[in-house]
Amino acid sequence: MADNPTTITLTIDGQEVTVAKGTTILRAAKQAGKDVPHYCYHDGLSSPAMCRLCLVEVEGAPKPMPACVTQATDGQVVHTESEQALDFRRGVLEFYLVNHPLDCPICDQSGECKLQDYVHEEGRKHGRSREPKRIFGRDDFGGDVLFYGDRCVMCTRCVRFMTEVERDARLTVVERGNRSVIDTFFEEGLEGTHWHGNIVDICPVGALVSKDFLYKARAWDLEHTDSICPSCSQGCNISLHVRDNLVQRLKPRDNLEVNGFWMCDHGRLNYEWLNRGDRLEAPLVRSESGVRAMGWREALAAFLEAAAGAAGNAVRAVASPRASNEDLGAFRALVESLGGGDIVYRMSRAADEVVLKGFPSLARRRDLAPNGRGAELLGMLRVGSDEGTGGLEDVADHDGIVLVLGDALDDQAPDFGSSAALFVHLATHASAASANAHFVLPITSFAEQEGSFTNLNGRVQRFWPGIRAPGAARPAWFVIGVTLAERTGSTAPRSAAESFASLGSSFPPFAGMSYDDLGTGGALVNQPVSLSGD
Amino acid sequence: MSDAPFRNPGWAGNTGGFELSEDQVRGDDFVGARSVEGDHPSTAATYPYMLADKHPEAPLFEGDFQARFEKILTRYPTKQAALLPTLGLAQEVRGHVGPESMDRVAELLGLSSAYVRGVATFYTMYNKAPVGRYLVQVCTNISCNLCGADDVLEAFLRYTDSEMGELSEDGNFTVIEAECLAACGFPTCVQINSRYYENVTPADVPKIIERLAAAGPGEG
Amino acid sequence: MAYPYVSDREVRVISRHFGDPAARRLDTYVERGGYQALRKAFELGPDAVIDEVKASGLRGRGGAGFPTGVKWSFMPKQPTRPHYLLCNADESEPGTFKDRELIRWDPHQLLEGVLISAFAIRAGHAYIYCRGEFFETTQVLARALEDAYAGGYAGRDILGSGFDIDVTIHVGAGAYICGEETGLMNSLEGQRGQPRVKPPFPAAVGAFGMPSTVNNVETLATVPHIVTHGGAWYRGYGTEKSPGTKLFCVSGHVNRPGNYELPLGFPMMDLIEDVCGGIRDGHALKAVIPGGSSVPLLNAEECSRCTLDYEGVVAAGSMLGCASVIVMDETTDIVKQVRRMVQFYAHESCGQCTPCREGTAWMTKVLRRIEDGRGTEEDLDTLLDMSHQMTGTTICVLSDSAAAPVVSSIHKFKDEYLALIRRGERVGVA
Repeated sequence: MADNPTTITLTIDGQEVTVAKGTTILRAAKQAGKDVPHYCYHDGLSSPAMCRLCLVEVEGAPKPMPACVTQATDGQVVHTESEQALDFRRGVLEFYLVNHPLDCPICDQSGECKLQDYVHEEGRKHGRSREPKRIFGRDDFGGDVLFYGDRCVMCTRCVRFMTEVERDARLTVVERGNRSVIDTFFEEGLEGTHWHGNIVDICPVGALVSKDFLYKARAWDLEHTDSICPSCSQGCNISLHVRDNLVQRLKPRDNLEVNGFWMCDHGRLNYEWLNRGDRLEAPLVRSESGVRAMGWREALAAFLEAAAGAAGNAVRAVASPRASNEDLGAFRALVESLGGGDIVYRMSRAADEVVLKGFPSLARRRDLAPNGRGAELLGMLRVGSDEGTGGLEDVADHDGIVLVLGDALDDQAPDFGSSAALFVHLATHASAASANAHFVLPITSFAEQEGSFTNLNGRVQRFWPGIRAPGAARPAWFVIGVTLAERTGSTAPRSAAESFASLGSSFPPFAGMSYDDLGTGGALVNQPVSLSGD
Repeated sequence: MSDAPFRNPGWAGNTGGFELSEDQVRGDDFVGARSVEGDHPSTAATYPYMLADKHPEAPLFEGDFQARFEKILTRYPTKQAALLPTLGLAQEVRGHVGPESMDRVAELLGLSSAYVRGVATFYTMYNKAPVGRYLVQVCTNISCNLCGADDVLEAFLRYTDSEMGELSEDGNFTVIEAECLAACGFPTCVQINSRYYENVTPADVPKIIERLAAAGPGEG
Repeated sequence: MAYPYVSDREVRVISRHFGDPAARRLDTYVERGGYQALRKAFELGPDAVIDEVKASGLRGRGGAGFPTGVKWSFMPKQPTRPHYLLCNADESEPGTFKDRELIRWDPHQLLEGVLISAFAIRAGHAYIYCRGEFFETTQVLARALEDAYAGGYAGRDILGSGFDIDVTIHVGAGAYICGEETGLMNSLEGQRGQPRVKPPFPAAVGAFGMPSTVNNVETLATVPHIVTHGGAWYRGYGTEKSPGTKLFCVSGHVNRPGNYELPLGFPMMDLIEDVCGGIRDGHALKAVIPGGSSVPLLNAEECSRCTLDYEGVVAAGSMLGCASVIVMDETTDIVKQVRRMVQFYAHESCGQCTPCREGTAWMTKVLRRIEDGRGTEEDLDTLLDMSHQMTGTTICVLSDSAAAPVVSSIHKFKDEYLALIRRGERVGVA
């Protein structure tokens, strides 16, 4: 490696690591699988090297060095676990606890708190301070943020996020020394900023907590599932945090190609709809004798019969930009199978983008659905207003076959589809219009199924099921796949992966792509496509 | 030689109304002269240079102060660098730097209000709340302390009949403990508004207080 | 001469005008040979000036004692961006009171030094960062600067040399830490005066992101004399490793406190007994802090064999720092004074680094408790361990400074701590 000028090799705790020149010791250690404890350092922010927790022993250096800003050099020998390194960390951790309230039992961060973790792993058994503690108390920072000053470790990640990333310096360190405390400009608070939820994420302790999540769940009771934010076309990588089959909160996942480490407040707080009750739990079939819930086998048989009976009628179809690529692809195939026709979709459109100035490739996009791009690439046409309403006049009174996937039709008149020869509504919830449907087929939301969305840049990203589907609700790709297999004698896809892989045969942008290619970070659709602007 | 216009010399403070006279500064009649006996001639005989009690409602800035503000801006390569002098100017006008002043200075310099608050609170010389006409800062750090600064501080509190950091009842005095004022050879050093009073002993305190309390508005 | 006190053992180079207000006037200063060094510097050129200062062995007078010429030589020789000279006049180390005197008695001497030094490091702009509390001092300096501009000694095309050097006085606002060179730069830029992580060093990335050098007032005031008389002349005073003269700020329990300019290597006891007229009221010496509150205390025995040069003070068990000699006699309550110093550091800690932010405040509380008679012997171990955790672990050395008097006093004056602890135990407070 020595003759390669772009890399250097150093030894960390006896293990040789080769890293790119300019890498810090902390990053190099991470590459070697070692997490050097730290608070102020964050991958997405500048490094002030002030928490002093990442001090490591570097052979030949006169003092312990902060791993976060010290560049690794060739031949360097670093100890992160030596007696000296442990000694300094023990000391720094004790300093943190001098004024910390130790209120873990009532602290939201408990269980995912870096102070708790580090002290438990490496701290002194007993603190030696006998002095009265400094008290700052609690402060409402506005927006979704509460500040518990006494728990703060003064890492200033929040201040740097607001200053460097959101570029709206609403937070600052007030006073100095031991009297330093994070604050806003008096009563100004964070109101009106659009990304402040991130400061709760990056706070390593329980100083900044979310009002929305306050006292809702303990960290250790939450199941985390990788997912994609459904609130706009950016496709931020997120985790669903679930307890008792209810989504409790959304958190961003790192993906430098899409959202860095961040997500917007709009997306973060827009999840309650996933927990909505009154779901469709069984297929509903309407006949002269009324509407009857039935099992899938019976319902699909009835549907195939009805479809055969309606053959020859023109098809008009409505899809949803909230449906996955797999669902939309299957829907497209269903429409083709019934004689073909245009598929339209409706999507809300905000007046402006909300760009994250310090990470400008990230914005809350104007299109307020996750898969408008997928629908477009699958040949569907956008209709309706910027509110996501209207545009279905041709469908509403169509007397042929009406197929609707995902769109709840909430804005439509009660007689929507009442003239149709065959009206099939694949939906999660019933609406007034679905009363006219001959078949209401219960499908799952994205949070209940595996699948993928295509974001506005043509990046296809996977998500996984985080909550159990209610009753007999099933993914649309599965329902349609089984139906088509019956109808055409083909084989139904057995998984979302198979369903996705089959998209490529009909739709060139997806040709040759597979879940294996997507990994967790996603991949761009495989050929240059002209992506319509926003 | 560059063609860039040269900035003005000096500092932007030198057009204000509170400064020393030409004679005092340039001449032999030096206000800060000390006698060998250590008894500062100014201890009880002079007024401090500027009153802390000003015009809390005055605009930032107008007239001479606006000119000085503009002069400050010319001295630095960035606007942000003008922050400390501008806050100082605001305090000179209003006597303290409250939220409204911070907000206004932020606006003048294109900074966020929170940022300005963070900077203003870092420095002890910006009064975050109104103080008395005379802000009495008694150094109690080691050199003065060895020579009895605690007694001087106590004397100031006693003769102004005030609590540390609290405004005296007549609104004239705020007495606080100060860190080293860099006059350690002349203990105890007391700064009253802008003036240093050196070699102050508890016995000097009543004279000083009496004189300052009696001073009219113009005599500050 | 009446400048509070003078001694015939002094070698008055930079302090020669102390007590003589006439020197503050430009005409008098020029009459006495002022600004000749600046002319000479222009003739020599920047590199020769740096070489002369290197040859003099002048060491930074702000406390660290780093060789000034060497520091200057870190600046790029071919400027591609603006260079800045920053004069550190934020004097605030407890025990130190020389820079204020240098400025107010001899402002042109400082300005001449600033101009020569800026020329040497190829800076087109010098900032003099004056401590905010120094109102009248700043007024004196500002008037002198105005006169210097008017007289053609500063500004554009200085003395017809073709060189432009702009000088601005910047006034601080009350923060000890702005005397740390990178804290000073942040403060100058309108930020909280928190020290910066080094590297990068100021000569590469300094004020406003440009190559910068920070020098203390006393250092810069010395420069004109070195340029005039040569480095070899300067080496005629002091010791081999600590050449030249130095202002000693003597405070505390001596009969004649004040500033005394002495050759480095001067015996400490001569300073106390002879120059300063001995301890007040005939008391015995207990302890001396030889370099400002940031350095370890020396006990009387250590003082007796201490010479006042950088190496001599280290050999005696402390550091010369900025040569601020704080003298304490036998009546001194050491624990109280140590607590007062640590309280100062807690007040002045910028709050960035955890060991300093939390450690200085915690230490103050523990010391206060001991002082009140509620301490235990374990507290002393805790204090020593805390000091260890605060030394060498932070961005700047403020926390090291807070730890120094604690460690040295516990080691050298443990009896005083124990007496307070025992007394507390006796009356049953603990």
